[in-house]
Amino acid sequence: MRPLERVNRTRRALAVTIVTRAALGAAAATLLAAALLTAVTRAAGLATSAAVWLVASLAGAIALALLMRPWRRLTVPRVALWIEERAPVLQYALVTAVDSLAVGPGAVFLEREVERLSWDRAARAAMIRGLRWPVLATAAGLAALLLAMRVDAAAIIEHDRATPRVITAGARDVAAPFARLTATVRPPAYAGGDAVRVESPVSIEALVGSMIILEAAGNGEGVVARAGEQSISVQAGGGAWRVTLTVGSRPTLLRLRHGSVERIVAVEPRPDSTPVVRLLLPARDTVVRTARGELRLSAEAHDDIGLTSAAFEYIVSSGEGESFKFKSGTLGTRHVDSGRELAVDAMLGLGALGLEPGDMVHLRAVARDGNTVSGPGVGASETRVLRVARAGEYDSIAVDGAPPPDTDKSLISQRMLILLTEAVEKRRPTLTRETLLSESRNIARDQTRLRKRVGDIIFQRLGNNPTGEEGRNPDEAPASDSAAPVADSAARDSVRRAKARAGRSPREIAAADSADSARAALLRAASAATGRGDEILDFEGDETPVVAINRPLLEAYNAMWEASRELDQGQTGRALPPMRRALAAIQRARQAERVYLRGKAPAVVVDLARVRLTGKENGAASTRVPRAPTDPAAARRAERLAAAIELAARSPAAAIDSLVLLRVESVDAAPRLAAALADVLAAMRTGRDATSLLARARRVADGSVRASGHLGLWSGVW
Amino acid sequence: MSMTSRAGRFPIPICPASLGSRRFPTLGEFVFATAQYESGDWDSAPLVPSNLIDSVARYTSLPVAPTGAIVSLASDDLFRFPLVFLTGHLPVRFTDGERANVRRFADRGGMLFVDDHNHDIDGAFHKTAIEELSRAVGPLSQLPNTHSIYTAFFKFPDGPPNTSHELNGWGDNLVHSHLLATMRGDRIAVLYSNKDYSSEWGYHPDNKRFLAVDNTKFGVNIIVYALTR
Repeated sequence: MRPLERVNRTRRALAVTIVTRAALGAAAATLLAAALLTAVTRAAGLATSAAVWLVASLAGAIALALLMRPWRRLTVPRVALWIEERAPVLQYALVTAVDSLAVGPGAVFLEREVERLSWDRAARAAMIRGLRWPVLATAAGLAALLLAMRVDAAAIIEHDRATPRVITAGARDVAAPFARLTATVRPPAYAGGDAVRVESPVSIEALVGSMIILEAAGNGEGVVARAGEQSISVQAGGGAWRVTLTVGSRPTLLRLRHGSVERIVAVEPRPDSTPVVRLLLPARDTVVRTARGELRLSAEAHDDIGLTSAAFEYIVSSGEGESFKFKSGTLGTRHVDSGRELAVDAMLGLGALGLEPGDMVHLRAVARDGNTVSGPGVGASETRVLRVARAGEYDSIAVDGAPPPDTDKSLISQRMLILLTEAVEKRRPTLTRETLLSESRNIARDQTRLRKRVGDIIFQRLGNNPTGEEGRNPDEAPASDSAAPVADSAARDSVRRAKARAGRSPREIAAADSADSARAALLRAASAATGRGDEILDFEGDETPVVAINRPLLEAYNAMWEASRELDQGQTGRALPPMRRALAAIQRARQAERVYLRGKAPAVVVDLARVRLTGKENGAASTRVPRAPTDPAAARRAERLAAAIELAARSPAAAIDSLVLLRVESVDAAPRLAAALADVLAAMRTGRDATSLLARARRVADGSVRASGHLGLWSGVW
Repeated sequence: MSMTSRAGRFPIPICPASLGSRRFPTLGEFVFATAQYESGDWDSAPLVPSNLIDSVARYTSLPVAPTGAIVSLASDDLFRFPLVFLTGHLPVRFTDGERANVRRFADRGGMLFVDDHNHDIDGAFHKTAIEELSRAVGPLSQLPNTHSIYTAFFKFPDGPPNTSHELNGWGDNLVHSHLLATMRGDRIAVLYSNKDYSSEWGYHPDNKRFLAVDNTKFGVNIIVYALTR
């Protein structure tokens, strides 16, 4: 075989090798690209689609084009040179022999030399080496693709095995729209974390606020999605359809329907737990004698996702009974970006809180998480209470004073009195004079009661008798107090005192004088404080603190008096201004100091029968039954029996004789008495106590009570 | 009217009634219970129970115990009472046990009536009680004035009756037009009042005769509602 023919043979082998290598390279590029794109799309939460294979094929085509470029260089000289490279022993004899210019006697010599040498082995090895990497690359690409798609394969198997189906038609329908359903769960931003992909989901548990994207291949035509009672839109694109919903706070059943096929996916919300906070210091409630120094606070918090801040909160409550004041604040606040554990410490300066005896400090630790969906979740620790002891609390049993309950809670408020008066004033044109006076005086009486109560409060503060105001019954006729009380009414007071002194003892008169002087002092103070007296007291100088504190109440007191006077005269319109002044004054008093008119009360046991009018009415007369007129003979027997009983104390023997005689006479006329007397005699004769027997005999002798079906005339008082 | 419907939801044991805080309801007998909690002055309205008991006896034929009971919120005894009254002035901080019990109490058909004795919307009791109740049983919302509790026995067409403390401007100087409530289905589980009924009803029942209009009638509505829903 001539050298040229041998080169052409090698050239054909090289051509096959180039094509094979290009094909393998293109396949490898396609597979690797497909594997890469599959991995990327799944990492991005997207479904694998035909686009992946399109891109992969493009990559394969490029690889094919690149790898086919040596085809153009597949000429005889180049192949000869390629052979020369693999078989150096040819020493360029082959290149020269296949050269078209190589003619002449030397050519024969060269052909003989070339025929003597063989390069097939070396060329075959070189071509095999050239195919090695494309084969490996193709295998690697195939492996990568299988690796990227292995979840799909497993999911298909698992889906066929476990997915519950609601099938109403042939099984062929099931696989079409929902066979390769995937769910991508993205937790809310505050929770951080990566998106999770769930293949062929049956139920999805996700944090509240998470976004779930359900996706499957196809155009989604005919697919209907509902979450509970709410319809969800189906979006299509990129060869897949998808449904997006946000996880709410309640479990939801997502129904995907396509024709007669239904797929159900349960969405179970997982709530973000509120932080768990533990107060380490102080360890327990405490009572301190004096509020000094600093109190160390320590707490720790834990959260399932992440904490953002923690702090200590305190509330200081001051006061007692019905009057409390509060102030609150935080300290030791610590902010963090995230983290499941957080410790917080602080020092609470007790002196800076200005605590007084009896005050209480409520302490607790509070932590917040970063929940921006349904939160933030706030967790709090147990509350510790630090109390400052009251003076005198030690060395004695702490017993709170319990004043007698204020029984008169029926007072109508000043505001209500104004409303009532306004109502009467409104109806005034339609009322007769009598009706107007009646209603107006009713209001006046309530106004007087309220005024009296205000006066009591003022007297209590002045330290006098709580009922130091004049003891006039507010329900009595109001004629005598129609004049203003704070005017200089010395003459009227003297007349009243003179009347009151009549018939009293000196001690009573002295007590009355004392009360009058207290009352006069009060009225003078009221007059001065409200500017209605002869002079106005200087609040900076002469005025006593008691009057200063009570000034609004004194104003109210006077205004009420004026209002009740107008109301007594039926002048409801003129009564309203002072009533409003009184209300305004009460408001000022309230702002200055809260006054509650109640003390502690004992436990009350309600008499249910009395309330329901089903109990026994004590002291009421019951229906009486008249007795029959007494028989004269029976009366005589009773008298004789009484005489015998009286005799028994002095002379028992004589009494026995009398009783024997009485018994004999009674045998026929009164057999029951005779029988009773027989028992008495038997007892007396044997020396036994016959008292009860004698009583029985006397009852028999007196005659029994006879029942009657009707009342006698004497009892017909009803 | 009877307690059979309530008894169906509440396992009321048959046990001898005793006086004092250990009084438990016998079968068919309503016992007014006051909640005792760790924080605050839970016993600030001692006369309210007897006053409402008096009103229940006066206006209804409900079998009612003559004295109220005191029950700890952390105790299982809480579940013996269909209605529990909670009041106070001081901050309310439930312990974990109290909080869990209140939640179970509401879930199992009980009704907790909470009244702010301060009548103070910005007061410490209000803030802390709202916070604690929200944590225990869920957020409170305004109860419409057309709710059936306002017609359960007496008719209150304008919603909750005003108190004299509101009209006199005590507390926060507001007249609260609505009560707050947490519902369980269509049933009130927690009824919250800023109106200071604790003060309004805090007087000896014998003094009721001085009132032109008995101001405890709404309390009867609350009790009847709790026993029949």
